[in-house]
Parts: sequence; structure tokens; C-alpha cells
Amino acid sequence: MSFEVPIGPQHPIHVEPLMLRLKVDGELIVDVDVDVSYLHRGIEKGLEVRTYLQGLYLAERICGICNCAHSLCYCLNVEQLLGKEAPPRAKYLRVIVEELSRMHSHLLWLGHYFHTLGFETLFMYFWRDRERVMDMLELITGNRVTTAYNTIGGVRRDITPEAESKLRKALDYLEERMRYYDKVIDSEPTILARTQGVGLLKPEDAIKLGTVGPHLRASGVKHDVRLDDPYSGHDEIPFNVVTWDTCDCYGRVKVRMGEVRECISMIRYALDHLPSGDYRLKIPPFFKAPEGESLSRVEAPRGELVHYSISNGGTNPYRYKVRTPTLANILSVTYMLKSRGDYEVYIADVPPILGGIDPCICCTARVVITDEARKKRRILTLSDLERYSQEKGARRR
Amino acid sequence: MRLPGYFIVEALRNLFKKRATILYPYRETEKVHLPEGFRGRIEFNREKCIGGQLCSRVCPAKAIEVIEDERGKRPVFLIYRCIYCGQCVEVCPTKAITLSKEFENIALRKEDLVVR
Amino acid sequence: MIEKILEALIFPGAIFILAISLFYEWFDRKLYARLQNRVGPHLAGPFGLLQPFADLVKLLSKEDIVPRAADGFLFTLTPILAPTIILFACMFLPISGLSGVISFRGDLIAVMAILSIYTIMVYLAGEGSNNRFASIGATRAALQLIGYEIPLTLALLSVAVAAGSLSLHGIVEAQLRRGFWFIAGLQLIGFAIFVVASQAEMERIPFDIPEAEQEIVAGWEVEYGGRRLALFRLSKDLELVLLSGLGATVFLGGPLGPVIPGLEPLLYTIYFLVKSIIVLAVFTIVRAIFARLRIDQMLSFSWRWLMPPAMILIILTEVIA
Repeated sequence: MSFEVPIGPQHPIHVEPLMLRLKVDGELIVDVDVDVSYLHRGIEKGLEVRTYLQGLYLAERICGICNCAHSLCYCLNVEQLLGKEAPPRAKYLRVIVEELSRMHSHLLWLGHYFHTLGFETLFMYFWRDRERVMDMLELITGNRVTTAYNTIGGVRRDITPEAESKLRKALDYLEERMRYYDKVIDSEPTILARTQGVGLLKPEDAIKLGTVGPHLRASGVKHDVRLDDPYSGHDEIPFNVVTWDTCDCYGRVKVRMGEVRECISMIRYALDHLPSGDYRLKIPPFFKAPEGESLSRVEAPRGELVHYSISNGGTNPYRYKVRTPTLANILSVTYMLKSRGDYEVYIADVPPILGGIDPCICCTARVVITDEARKKRRILTLSDLERYSQEKGARRR
Repeated sequence: MRLPGYFIVEALRNLFKKRATILYPYRETEKVHLPEGFRGRIEFNREKCIGGQLCSRVCPAKAIEVIEDERGKRPVFLIYRCIYCGQCVEVCPTKAITLSKEFENIALRKEDLVVR
Repeated sequence: MIEKILEALIFPGAIFILAISLFYEWFDRKLYARLQNRVGPHLAGPFGLLQPFADLVKLLSKEDIVPRAADGFLFTLTPILAPTIILFACMFLPISGLSGVISFRGDLIAVMAILSIYTIMVYLAGEGSNNRFASIGATRAALQLIGYEIPLTLALLSVAVAAGSLSLHGIVEAQLRRGFWFIAGLQLIGFAIFVVASQAEMERIPFDIPEAEQEIVAGWEVEYGGRRLALFRLSKDLELVLLSGLGATVFLGGPLGPVIPGLEPLLYTIYFLVKSIIVLAVFTIVRAIFARLRIDQMLSFSWRWLMPPAMILIILTEVIA
């Protein structure tokens, strides 16, 4: 009995539309095909018609969960174009909100992951603790999800002492809860049976397929943008890069839980050593950026996020390109979902594997060109995209 | 072989704890706690406005239109387009715009979602 | 004669069992929610008691869509047969007396046979839908049957051996004679096996593999909507009544308890309901604290950890009793 099972575009495990076409033989998966083009919103075009300050809010909304990472990357990009740097206090405040947002994203992912495994009780508990993190974000930035905290030249608000004390209490509570969840995950046989040995990805294959983020770190590769390319005071704040060497879904769970603990210690350090001074540079709302191009990288909760922009001296960017981590990780999904030799993949393993990369498809879809005039559809590969943007940059010069 | 069900102690303890849900909106609406600085609906003070038009130029969602009245130019805020970013609040030189704590911004007529 | 018919139709027959099946579903949902620190149903009726009824009525009023490629005969037959046979099996439960509405020698075997026929109905329902998700779900249901059926049968048969009778009435009488319920003693192991195997029978977590919502979008019942889905959901609730009632009768003594002569039917019913709600609570707690297993893991689990204790149990019962 061999046929094709479509997982998507609408499916209970997908938070956003994604098409996975599985060729199955009974319960074994034999081949897989991925289509990520269902959520293309024309954001890069939208960034070209807005000024730099207006574009900040559009860039923030590329993804709901990684919104802090996108806005931070955008601000770093524009600051690089202008040749300015945020003041030290702003850097530490940015780190605080970025790490809070990373905790929020990982708790959301952990809850959602256990929901896909069928463990609804743990799903509810993780999301209950995530509410504490969202309350803290609301206290500091004014909104639970789209925080709008970073601005070009610094941050928009300062942190009050009352918010700081509430934040410390919340961090203590969360640390204790994460210790408990660690024990549960390690001692529950059904969870271990579903995650250990599932979705194997050797380190060489991971690097060859271009994976980034916690997905890569679960295969034992120590790669983190905060370590390799510190962008906001990360060279002063001490932290450990969490890796795990089992290369499977269990490792991905452990890496993300370890990262939550690291976030807590980083926020505590940043609160203790907050430099005094201005939290914002004076930059007018409408400005013409000098000609040039700039690239900024940020460690989003899902991996390495890259923003690239070209300016031709106007108030709007000439070209803006976003490379999100999920786009890099999707290729490894197709690799992990195929059964090879002893390594068998069942349909029931699709949620753990697909969920293991923490897919954020709304960040991803930027690669389909539908040619209405000639009624053709072209799907660009990663190398095509690189060539395309390099050509446009060369044309402008 | 680990014994399954380590989780049962915590699950049973939660059975007797108070629920984590706030029963909004049918009851317990008062328990929804919003902090200071929450970015809600726009409130506009006509007296302080000097017709600078900076808010309209800076809005990312094009939610502010400028009209002329007997005292000069002034903005009209379209709440149905607002993304609650607060940029207009920052840019206004006389601080004529503030963000209140109202977040239930739905209405049956578009006219109810316009602040003049 | 008239009395028998009324008994079969109203109390403790069809109407009563349908009513308490809706109550059991409410109890299951409410307890599951409270274990997760949530509220559960709370708007329809006082404490949300009418929520399952409201869901049923809503489903009954929806449009009935039959896919063109589906097998019309199976598509219509299975939603009608599934709740009917479970309701028929519930008539064997001794609710308001020491024997059920129907009772004959060997009716325990009849109940177990009906439970197997139900799984065959599930398989036919999935295959009759002509949908790949339904086929996968139906196959998983049939595979799951291979895993749990023998331990479940052996656990119930051990009690029958200890009681010396294959009828539910006989088992209740045996507990009355012994003075204490079967769960006290060797049959505690049988109760544990019964709880685990029933979770697999009712397709609940950790064994809700045939209708895994996150993997195959409702599995074998994916094409059913409106009235047909209402009947399948009703059959699930009736299964809750049947299996918790069976557990209460066989292991906890069913309607037995201190009686005041004259008030016997009422007291028997109350004791039966209380005990089967206790068994239902155990089912719900098991549902809340585990993740879902994969089908191959479920089969290896049941053949490695359910079969040997069941076989040892029945041999020991035969030797000791």
C-alpha cells in the first residue's frame, strides 16, 4: 500500500501553511517534497516603499514570535549604514528584551512540541509559564508580542526599578519551573520513546545542508552568532553555548531547555551590570542614509537571521533582503524524513521532526516567483537567490 | 526501566490549585491587569495640537489623515488601521497624542473607530 | 412484560444510559481540564453540565456530506451500528440490581465479543471513507486490536476463574459471597492491566494512535460530519460507560454495598455510579499524564509488558483459587 500523504497546507500540526508531500509505504516514509510558498506577503517590496523608520515596524512583523530578533537586526543594519552605534545602556537593555523574547519563543515551542506528541498536560503547563514571560514583556515594553522596543539608535523606553524587581521574581519562578520540567522530560518513558533516535542528523550532514540555530547545536556543532559575531554587548555578558551530541529530537528539546536557563542567567547579569547613561541616540525621524550596503546578523530564537540592505542615498532602502533561519532548516527536514537502510521514519514521526526545527513559515516564504504574463512558476533555490541579489547589487553600482 | 507517571504528583497537585484561567469576558473582566505604559487606543488632545503633521508622515500604517479645520491643520486617527506602535506619540513636539489602556477596539460601524 | 420493556427502554436501559454517558463525558472533560489548571466546560448549564449535550445537538444540526467516492453502504451503516452495539452491551451491566437488564450464562464473553466487533466497525468506517488519512487510521486501529485484546480478555477471564462463573451476575454474586471485592488481592494486577488495555480500546492517550489529531487529522473519522460524527462521538461516550461500568462490576463489586431493604434499586444504582466514576477518574488521570506512543511502540509495549503479567495472572488464579 504505497501512496502519497499530504501534510498541509492546512493541518493541525502546522501553525502556518506548509506543504509536505510524503510518499509512504504503510507507515514508513519513503520520499518527501516540501513547498513553502503559501505565505508570501511581499514584505521586501513593502520595505522598499517605506522610510527607514516606518520600515522598522514592518520588519518587526515578519514574524510574530521572533519579532524582537527582526527589529533588532533591522536596527543594527540601519545603524551600520549610518555609521552609528547604540549607547552601552541601550545594548544591555536590548539584550534583556531579546533574551526575554527568546525565552518566550522557546517556551512556546516546548509547549507546542509536546502538544504534537500528544502530551497535552505539559503543553498547558509550559504555556502557563509562558504567560509570566509575556507579562514581563508587557511591563517593560507595553505589549505582549509585538514589542516595538528597539529603534534606530537605541531603545524606546527605559526600565523602571519596579519593573526590574518584578522581573527578578519572575526569573526565580521560571528557573525553578525549568528544573522541574527537566526532571519530568528525563523520567517519562513515553516522551523518551518518541524523541530519542528520531530525526537523526549527523553533524557533517547538518553543516552540508546549511542548518542553523538550536537545530545545529543539537547535532553537537558549537555555532552561535552571539559567540562568533557579538552584536549587542555579547562580548561582555558571559554565557554558555548549549550543545548536545545525540543528534536527535531529544537533543533538540534539551538544547532549547538549556538555552532558557542561559537566558535567565544572561538577563540577571545584564540587570546587575546595567551601565548608566542615555538609552537612545538622537536620530531624526526622516533621514537620508548615505550610499552603501550593510549586512547584519542576529541569533534569533530559531537560528541565524541575516538582513542585507543596499542604500542609494534616499529616505527608503533601495533593496532589502531577509534570510530567515527556517529557510535554512527546511532542507534538513527533507533529508531527515526519508527512510534509509536501518533508519526508519514513520508518519507518526513527522510532527516531532518537523517541530524539531521550530518552523516559522511566515518568516520563510520569499522565494516563489509567479510569472502571471507567461503563466509560469519558478521556485528559486538558495544559490539562485544569492545570485539574484548579487546581480541587483552589481547593477546598482 | 524508569517507572512511568512521575508526572502524576504534579498533575494531582494542580487539581487542587486555583485555575490559571481568567474568565474574561463573561465574568472576571476586572482581573485583566494592564501595566502602566500599555500601548492601547490613541487619545488626542486638540488643544495642544499645532498642526505639525509629523504624526501623519511617520505613521507606518498610514493610519493618520490630515484635514483642515478653523484652527489649522489637524490629524484624524483611523483606529482600524492603527498598529499601536506609538511612533506618533514619540514624534509629536507638543505631546498632544497619548496611548490609553483600551484594547477592546472593535465596533460595528467604521465611524466608531475614528478619533477626531 | 411491560415492566421489562420499560426497564430496557428507560431505566436502567437506553435513556438512562444515554443520559449518564453525557454526564461521564462532562466528568472526563472537567477532570482533564482541572488537572491542566484550566476550567473545562463552564458555560452551558450549571458548571457546564449540559456541554456534551449541546455539542451533540450542534453536530446533529450540521450538514451531512457524503464523499462521492465513499462506499455508501459502509458510510451509512457504521455510524448507526457503532453506538447501537455498545448500547446493547451496556444492557448487561448490573446497574439497579445484581444482574443487568439482560443476563445469561456466559454474558461476559458476549460483552468482550461486542467490544471486538466495535473495533471492526471502526476499521470498516475508516476504509469505507476512501480517504488516505482514514485508511491509515483504520489500519492503526486494527493493529492496535492485536496489541490490547488478549491482555484485556485474560484480565477479565482471571476474575471469571476466581469467581467460578462466566456471567456478570455470577461475578457480582461471588463478590457478595466472599465479602470483599476482587480488587483486593491478586486481581489488583488484573485491574492494572484492565485500565491500560481499556485506554487502548477506547483510543485515548497514550493510545489514541488511530485518531491522532496531530498526525493524521482525526484518522478514521475524518470524513464523517454532522449526524454521523454525532453518532460516533456518542459511541465513544457509551464506551466510557461500558468500560468503566465493566471495571466497577468486575473489580469493585458493582452495585454491592450496605443496603436498606426496600430502597435497594436506588442504592444499588448510586453505588454502581460512584464506583464507575472512580474507575473513570483513573482513566482520565492516565490520559493526562502520558504522551502518545507510536503504533510499533504500542505493539511492542503491550506484548512485552501487558501479555506476560496477564498470562501469569490467569495461571496463578487457576492454581490458587
